[in-house]
Amino acid sequence: MQVEKFYYDNKTVKLFAYATILWGTVGMLVGLLAAVQIYLPAANFGLPYTTFGRVRPLHTNAVIFAFVGNGIFMGVYYSLQRLCKARMFSDVLSKIHFWGWQLIIVSAAVTLLMGYTSGKEYAELEWPIDIAITLVWVVFGINMFGTILTRRESHLYVAIWFYIATWVTVAMLHIVNSFEIPVSFMKSYSWYAGVQDALVQWWYGHNAVAFFLTTPYLGIMYYFLPKASNRPVYSYRLSIIHFWALIFIYIWAGPHHLLYTALPDWAQSVGVVFSLMLIAPSWGGMLNGLFTLRGAWDKVREDPILKFMVVAITCYGMSTLEGPLLSIKSVNAISHFTDWTIAHVHVGALGWNGFLTFGILYWLIPRIFGTTLYSKKLATNHFWIGTIGIVLYAVPMYWAGFEQAMMWKQFTPDGILKYQFLETVTHIIPLYITRSIGGLLYLSGVVLMIYNIVKTVKSGSLIANEAAEAPALSKDIQTHGKQYWHRWIERRPIQMLVFSLILVAIGGIIELVPTFLIKSNIPTITAVKPYTPLELQGRDIYIKEGCYLCHSQMVRPFRDEVARYGEYSKAGEFIYDHPFQWGSKRTGPDLARIGGKYPDSWHYNHMLEPQSMSPGSIMPSYAWMLDDPIDTASTPAKIRAMQTMGVPYPKGYDKQANADLMMQANAIRINLKIDKIQTTANKEIIALIAYLQRMGTDIKAVSKTTEAKMP
Amino acid sequence: MNVIILLLIASISVAGLFLLAFIWSVKTGQYKDEVSPAIRILFDDIPSIRKKPKSKDETDTHIVKKNV
Amino acid sequence: MAKTTTSLTAVQCFHCGEDCNKDRISAYEKNFCCSGCKMVFEILDKSNLCDYYSISKTPGTQQKNTIREGKFSFLDDKKIAASLTQFQNENRTHINFYLPQIHCSSCLWLLENLHRLDNAIISSKVNFERKEVDIVFSHHQTSLRKIAELLSGIGYEPYLSFNDMGKQMPKVNASKIYKLGIAGFCFANIMLMSFPEYFGIDTKEYSLLTTFRFANLALSLPVFFYSATEFYVSAWKSIKHRFLNIDAPIVLAIWVTFGRSIYEVLSGTGGGYFDSMSGIVFFMLVGRVLQDTTYRQLSFERDYTSYFPIAVTRVFEQKYESILLSEIKLDDTLLIHHEELIPSDGILTRGKALIDYSFVTGETAPVEKEMGEIVYAGGKQLGSNIELLVIKEVAQSYLTKLWNKENDKSEKNETYSFVHLLSRYFTWIVFGIAFMAAAYWYVHDISKVWNVITSILIIACPCALFLSNTFTNGNILRRLSRNHLYLRNAEVIERMASIDCIVFDKTGTLTTGRFQQIVYEGEPLSVEQKNKLSVLASQSVHPLSKAIVSWTGIQERAKISSYKEVAGYGIEGIVGSELISLGSYSFITKDKSKRREPSIVYVAIEEKIIGKFIFRNQYREQVPTMLSQLGLEYYHMAVLSGDNDGEKNYLQTLMGSHTTLLFNQDPIDKLKAIKKLQESGKKVMMIGDGLNDAGALTQADVGIAISETNHHFTPASDGILSAEELPKLYRFIQLCKANKKVVVTAFVISIFYNIIGLSFAVSGSLSPIVAAILMPSSSISIVLITFGLSNYCSNLYQLK
Repeated sequence: MQVEKFYYDNKTVKLFAYATILWGTVGMLVGLLAAVQIYLPAANFGLPYTTFGRVRPLHTNAVIFAFVGNGIFMGVYYSLQRLCKARMFSDVLSKIHFWGWQLIIVSAAVTLLMGYTSGKEYAELEWPIDIAITLVWVVFGINMFGTILTRRESHLYVAIWFYIATWVTVAMLHIVNSFEIPVSFMKSYSWYAGVQDALVQWWYGHNAVAFFLTTPYLGIMYYFLPKASNRPVYSYRLSIIHFWALIFIYIWAGPHHLLYTALPDWAQSVGVVFSLMLIAPSWGGMLNGLFTLRGAWDKVREDPILKFMVVAITCYGMSTLEGPLLSIKSVNAISHFTDWTIAHVHVGALGWNGFLTFGILYWLIPRIFGTTLYSKKLATNHFWIGTIGIVLYAVPMYWAGFEQAMMWKQFTPDGILKYQFLETVTHIIPLYITRSIGGLLYLSGVVLMIYNIVKTVKSGSLIANEAAEAPALSKDIQTHGKQYWHRWIERRPIQMLVFSLILVAIGGIIELVPTFLIKSNIPTITAVKPYTPLELQGRDIYIKEGCYLCHSQMVRPFRDEVARYGEYSKAGEFIYDHPFQWGSKRTGPDLARIGGKYPDSWHYNHMLEPQSMSPGSIMPSYAWMLDDPIDTASTPAKIRAMQTMGVPYPKGYDKQANADLMMQANAIRINLKIDKIQTTANKEIIALIAYLQRMGTDIKAVSKTTEAKMP
Repeated sequence: MNVIILLLIASISVAGLFLLAFIWSVKTGQYKDEVSPAIRILFDDIPSIRKKPKSKDETDTHIVKKNV
Repeated sequence: MAKTTTSLTAVQCFHCGEDCNKDRISAYEKNFCCSGCKMVFEILDKSNLCDYYSISKTPGTQQKNTIREGKFSFLDDKKIAASLTQFQNENRTHINFYLPQIHCSSCLWLLENLHRLDNAIISSKVNFERKEVDIVFSHHQTSLRKIAELLSGIGYEPYLSFNDMGKQMPKVNASKIYKLGIAGFCFANIMLMSFPEYFGIDTKEYSLLTTFRFANLALSLPVFFYSATEFYVSAWKSIKHRFLNIDAPIVLAIWVTFGRSIYEVLSGTGGGYFDSMSGIVFFMLVGRVLQDTTYRQLSFERDYTSYFPIAVTRVFEQKYESILLSEIKLDDTLLIHHEELIPSDGILTRGKALIDYSFVTGETAPVEKEMGEIVYAGGKQLGSNIELLVIKEVAQSYLTKLWNKENDKSEKNETYSFVHLLSRYFTWIVFGIAFMAAAYWYVHDISKVWNVITSILIIACPCALFLSNTFTNGNILRRLSRNHLYLRNAEVIERMASIDCIVFDKTGTLTTGRFQQIVYEGEPLSVEQKNKLSVLASQSVHPLSKAIVSWTGIQERAKISSYKEVAGYGIEGIVGSELISLGSYSFITKDKSKRREPSIVYVAIEEKIIGKFIFRNQYREQVPTMLSQLGLEYYHMAVLSGDNDGEKNYLQTLMGSHTTLLFNQDPIDKLKAIKKLQESGKKVMMIGDGLNDAGALTQADVGIAISETNHHFTPASDGILSAEELPKLYRFIQLCKANKKVVVTAFVISIFYNIIGLSFAVSGSLSPIVAAILMPSSSISIVLITFGLSNYCSNLYQLK
């Protein structure tokens, strides 16, 4: 009567595991495609849906939220039940959670390829999906806290703390960042403009890394590493300390993504300082992981699972050391906008997240199927192929990044830039090729794993409900402390849940704050005017095609950049940019000052066939823009949306916006006609040209006066 | 840069939340014993009424792990 | 399970891993060293708990000496049971047992699966560090006694002692930790929101700046009003004691900082120094917490009650009943079982007593008592059951009185750490500077006076000294504990550094109490003779006989006739037609003239002495070297032994002629000896193990109790040192001396910061940024320096 019998839910775990594998493969496949497209533009098959600008966000979303996301849930659903000695709170919620999440992924994949994007990196999904995510996340939360509440083990193991932290923080980040004003179903504008948007975005962007790719996986590591090696974690105290330290520091490292940008200095410095402080807790985690295996290296030699975990932890250590270093201003000046960043993130993603996930899959699948792994040998091969893959991926990218940065900054003795931008690109193409080979290897490793796991699954049968027993948490006082303490403890998890929900609510309320903040005191530049309707449409096309993924719009105050692109960017220039389009990578040149650089016809032909204008360019053709018409129907709504966000269009301008649009469009059409190009005014290309020609021109008039201010 | 205030409110409220959680965990003696929890998670709570053979391979796997 | 046996060596006991000798039992294709171990295995196997053996190898503890039937019967007594249980409601009872045997993960696993052995047990949770288990059981289905017996049955005999009565679990007092957490939280966020101040925020964003400032102010309130109270309290205490300790100037600095910051924020003249204030409080709290690390598994506060059993068996109208120790009345007749402690003085009324007083008096050889003799409390009966008539109640008995005598002297005279004195001078100097600076500016620019004074007081807060002190202490305590010397608190470090005289107890301290060194002198013995000796000796329970048996290394079961034992003198018997006798000279030769030599046993065959066994205490390894080393360092040394002077000469040569050696010392003598030394102006460190040293340990300036591994008897003391680390004593003292040097060095370095800071302050130009950088940077560097230095020192003395 005393001991309670109950059953662990392995079905959901299995589903999440399968989803992890499926989406992992898809995500990496797409990644591989994108990698190929970098040196083989034709690999976009001439279709808008498969062009880099849309494939790349699909890749990032797929691997982060689909692969790692499902990986997290797999790990949490397996370990949380066992750590709490209780079945997941509600099977229904588990179902909703699983299928809801998969639905979101599918819709994300479809919409992204169709070009529905909010234009904010790692948060590209449009508002209806954002809402869906919020709901599913709350479901997950209730399910998790419910389990914690009904647990049979009084102590909350450190892993659970990591899970809680993940849930709460991600909820907050998601809500604060994806606050946008819908224009239509599947189209919205970010509430924040320019610099502010940038700050929010990267505050989110960084913490997405911190609390989606790191804390949950640390939690998972703290459960599965000891289990797989059958030895307790090196220092439990250390794990506790490093958890609390991490939680309190992480949140503020965000701004290091915006060094040397138009973001105020002090905000940048905040980012730097906190990033540097991060080293300590991060390494606390890594060392704790590695020391756990001390004296068990013989095991590691034998066991592929431990191999995967060791490399994963090492990669974690490397990237958590590199991250802070990259956020040192002088380093960042070189690394930013180059492939260095790509290398950095992939060491983390392929090494830390990928390998840990594989290790766990190899350990977990046989367990829930009551069998043993089909082939240790295959797993070991997978490990080696994967490792080589990572090396072949990372090394060339570091090299490329460094090489390119150096070339960008070189001047001839007589003070002119040594290299054209294009040269710096063509120069590193071999490295791009090597990188894609690394990716291919990594992926083929995954294929091996799939085969291995299929065989394993075949050899066993799922223990859908794993029987377990444990004494109930005695409801009267624990041996220490007074009566009411205990009651208090027992109620705690609910309160934590309530707290979190309140927090979500607070988030919602806080979202109203920006409306009051619109009158922000960004140093306004009188010359900066709102976009014309046509430019606005053009900008949306720019966003839709994901141009920001290869082209930055942020000239940093460096000699080379000013020489190459022109006047460095000022915070004041972006006050009408919903969302900001600074970008984070320069596969192509910066466009902040593109306006007026080339004639309209150049852009027209360039979009039709880039190589014709700049031979050797790796930019794909955007031929369809020449035929697709501008969606003028949406113009009034867009204008109104902009007005609600304080963009000073005259009252009732939405009525005549389209008229102005056509007028400007015709002007461009005539321009093109002069250059022997026949087209009608209502084509997307026209709008895009309008936007491109506008970019960075406002300030040119006043640039002379601001020159003095340059540091 | 007023948006920073928004971020501050959000972050500090979360941090505050964790502070509460921290105080709670200390108060309720979550960290009274910093050894057992780490060991405890290594045990699976298999029902006592399981068949002998099962127990065999159960323990064997353990041993294999140990001798590896 | 087959696999396990193969993975074990053949002769190892499957349960406890001890080597199985001849009388090994083989069962279930496994080997057991004794039936006890086998029994445990059977119990576990029955309830399918054999994972116990697979989680870690041979996890058990040796079960040779089985627990007496009904040993825990006293737990059936309502009163006793009630006094032990922590909580009880209509159907559940919570009990907490101390199980010294807990040592590995198997223990943890088994003890948390008790419900499989007895489903009346609802839950059991182990606290590994404390070696305790919390058990919740339904008292309708089982009883406290049953549970105790269950635990003993699986090899975890609960250790229950008199002072478990109404034991209250120490409540987790974590107020310091909360203060720390809150300080940390506020500090981090204040720092965050001070950045705009430091990195020059755009003037256009002034509104933002003020927001930050007020936010900082808000965040600093909990630090000031809650976290910092730690220091207010001790400062207030010190002032009440008319002694200005280090906290006083610190508190002053905190207040001034806070006050000025508030003024600046409200008047809009600046951002204040909230970050410095909260930072300092945070760091200092960290230091305090580090320094106050407690060793959960140890207790420095043991008194005689921890050695006494909870209950004893009283013979009442031919019936045995177990009563609480406190209920023992004069003229009660008590039944003392084999291996049981004698709770109160009494007259032996039945049976023959063979009492081991080593724990009380330090004598190694047990003492025989005949009927009618007085037996004193505290001894342990080695022979079979005896009965005695109580002549003194527990509280009045010899041992207890002795204890109480000691306790009234136990409180040590308050010694203040040098840190406080140092800080006092420091503070006065600072006041001086402040005054002069004020005077100077009063003449030149009166507007700056207030500003300057406050800045000086803020900068010159002796927190650096505080930090270096707490962190060094904390770290040194840590290093010592790694070498298994656990000091009660940080003051002991300083006292230990200052001692110039070391007093040792002999038995159990310099020597290993149990195993004796045995030397045979005389005609060489043939194997056959050895056999005969061992056969004879194995008839007696006397430890010397036992020693001889193990010396021969033979365990023959041969016939013996006309065996005779004269308690306290010797034994004899006919083995294989030869009369063999072992015993004192007088016992064999029947001539009473020769004086008794307690540690010599003569061997005679057919009443002809052929040789003698000389028993000498086994000295701990490397102890001789340590002693000579200490001698070289001109430490005055002394040995106070409760034992006979059998080894005077040996010791004398060992420790040099200038050491005082006193033998046959009873506890009071020891205590007095220590006092005498102290009166002669010596700072005395006493090192002892037994209860007989308890008084001396508390009287000495530093009392270190020696503890055998897993040996849970350590009298009240300032520190507990595990026996095998005793040879490191000299190095320990060295490290404690280093402590002070480290603190001072760090402090001197910190003074440079202060000078820089002061120079800014005095010149009236202390920009927030300077203060902001100075404060944390000095604190952190101090912390690093102290850690570095103290670690360096402990490595220097080759300490772990």
